[in-house]
Amino acid sequence: MTSNIAERFAPLFTPQTVAVVGASTKGTALPNVFIRRIREFGYAGTIYPIHPSASEIDGLTAYKSLADTPQPVDYAYIAVSAAQIPAMLAAAAGHVRYAQVISSGFGEVDTGKELEQKLAEAARAGGMRLIGPNCLGIYTPRGAVTFTEVGPKEVGCVGIVSQSGGLGTDIIRRGMNRGVRYSGLITVGNCADLTPSELLEFYLADEQTKVIGFYIETAKDGRRLFELLRSARARKPVVMLKGGRTRQGLAAAASHTGSLAGDERAWIALSRQTGCVLAETLDDFIDTLLIFQTLTPRTRQATDRVVLFGNGGGASVLATDYYARLGLDVKPFESTTVDALAALNPPPGTSITNPVDCPVGTLQQEDGRVAEKILDAIYATGRPEALVMHLNMAAFAGRTRPEVLDNVVQAALRVQSRFPGQAHFVLVLRSDGEAELESRKRDFRARAVALGIPVYDEMANAGHALAALRSHERFAISRSAA
Amino acid sequence: MSASADIFAAARAQGRSALDEPAGKELLAGFGIRVPKSVVVSDAAKINGAMSALQGPYVVKVVSPDILHKSDAGGVRLGLKSAADVAQAIAAMAKSPTISSARVEGWLVEEMAPAGQEIVIGAVRDPQFGPLIMVGLGGIFVEVLADVAFRICPLTRLDAQEMLGELKGAAVLKGARGGKPVSQDAIIDVLLRVGGENGLMTRHAADIKEADINPLIVNESGAVAADARFVLA
Repeated sequence: MTSNIAERFAPLFTPQTVAVVGASTKGTALPNVFIRRIREFGYAGTIYPIHPSASEIDGLTAYKSLADTPQPVDYAYIAVSAAQIPAMLAAAAGHVRYAQVISSGFGEVDTGKELEQKLAEAARAGGMRLIGPNCLGIYTPRGAVTFTEVGPKEVGCVGIVSQSGGLGTDIIRRGMNRGVRYSGLITVGNCADLTPSELLEFYLADEQTKVIGFYIETAKDGRRLFELLRSARARKPVVMLKGGRTRQGLAAAASHTGSLAGDERAWIALSRQTGCVLAETLDDFIDTLLIFQTLTPRTRQATDRVVLFGNGGGASVLATDYYARLGLDVKPFESTTVDALAALNPPPGTSITNPVDCPVGTLQQEDGRVAEKILDAIYATGRPEALVMHLNMAAFAGRTRPEVLDNVVQAALRVQSRFPGQAHFVLVLRSDGEAELESRKRDFRARAVALGIPVYDEMANAGHALAALRSHERFAISRSAA
Repeated sequence: MSASADIFAAARAQGRSALDEPAGKELLAGFGIRVPKSVVVSDAAKINGAMSALQGPYVVKVVSPDILHKSDAGGVRLGLKSAADVAQAIAAMAKSPTISSARVEGWLVEEMAPAGQEIVIGAVRDPQFGPLIMVGLGGIFVEVLADVAFRICPLTRLDAQEMLGELKGAAVLKGARGGKPVSQDAIIDVLLRVGGENGLMTRHAADIKEADINPLIVNESGAVAADARFVLA
């Protein structure tokens, strides 16, 4: 069963043949751009441009119809006027595995609803799966196919389904810059045939995928989505960004219950019963995906005790308050930890309780080894379940050598490796937005994420991501015994 | 056909858009939910004898397909001590303008449920997820604060426990402000009978558009559905 679904979706995620309908001989149409992009992306399979009269497009042999290609088509990218597509699919019956219809003019407008039905019927009758219509494409680094201008070539572990094409592009681009790496992203548009639930089923079975993210507006097969998510018991984290969460109750409700129901309530119920995490904004969505990409959820006891460590006293006090509102406990250390820290005789200005305020002067001492001793004592006696290290980069600029940041993070990683599995390690790189600092932060973020450290711009973002991780852990633990 | 299916079939055959209260309570009783002992009488003159199996105090409510909100229509009287009081209450209610102009099918006479915490349990059909179940504390908690929790049916026992924990007024169930703690197990039991595997909403998802059990009266030992409304799909 598991291998079945992986096999069924292989032609979509690793297509051997790609047909492109709608490319022009002038080379300027969107499908031409798509051909160019997948070639640049390193696509090594065969591309079949489809054109009614041209024999060659962008230097590739063109074919008159989808049915005429020498080999069957694993994935067809179709961007021509809507009305002709149903007949085009019907003519290619048995010759195409996945057909993605980029074109709009279907069910999203009243006049296109019937055409969308015809489209879905043609696909079904022709033994192919239809993606879309009214979408942008697929991004599948394992198959070296992408609809986007930029996107990492590296295959990651975050699998995405997006009902919006534009937002799908945002997810790839913005996520890429934060260090998120994807196992795939499918824009599904109107979902006339292939639904988010089926892709969820694929990602749950897909060995490459560790985390699943959805941007969803309407779940046409909500029942199946619920059942799949529930039976998965959160074995892979699922993060949902839901568009159109109205608070409105049922129109013309005749009961209290009816007037209190509505989309928002239903999605919260889904989240509580299945453990999927609801993200509030695009940034929150990416932050949450990143924490699941980099950290392994605790399976015995959910994350509770959080230690804040870094330079910036006021910032860490504010974060302590904020974390308390998120239900994360930044509890002062018990006396054993306080004594252990006092015994280290830390440099002046260093606090010996949680949050641990550790000025730049302390952090840079002995190439980070003083910080390492402090962290060692905290790990050994304070048993933190998460350590948020926050570095205010503006305070480092000019006053210290560039390698200080590296030294501090390396020191923390050494402590991590001495206490395996004890604490989630999260890094916050705070900057004032000044260009030079931003560019330094950018480089440093990339290096840290490559080491498996989730990096955030502010402590609040890190807090939200940690709270999401903890909520996933709690759910998985509560359901594993059931 | 099961007894519960018969109830829906009969209501449909009569062209109703909602179950009347006696039918709604029969439905709940069929799913193992406690309802007050009751009789339906056609008018005040038929009281004698009909009430012999009931213990006071009594509640009497109008039964009419035209009246969904019985209290608002002046069609509910509580705390009646004798059959004579019940007869008098029926006679008085029958004269109220809303009731006298409605089709009155009879009067539901019930044993009044012992005092307790009022809970609301409800259900609706969601266009995406199918039947949803709701729980909240009665009165101001539901009506003003909208302090309720929803789940998709069927829910599990753990889901039901978590629903109660999610209510901002959860402490009230544990006896906050000097009240007696009430049986959370009794509430969970009703939630499962309504929204659990093989529960009412799972078996009759296609029949029910909206439902309110309001109030479910809960004390230390159990829960009684004092009113029930089922709007047909």
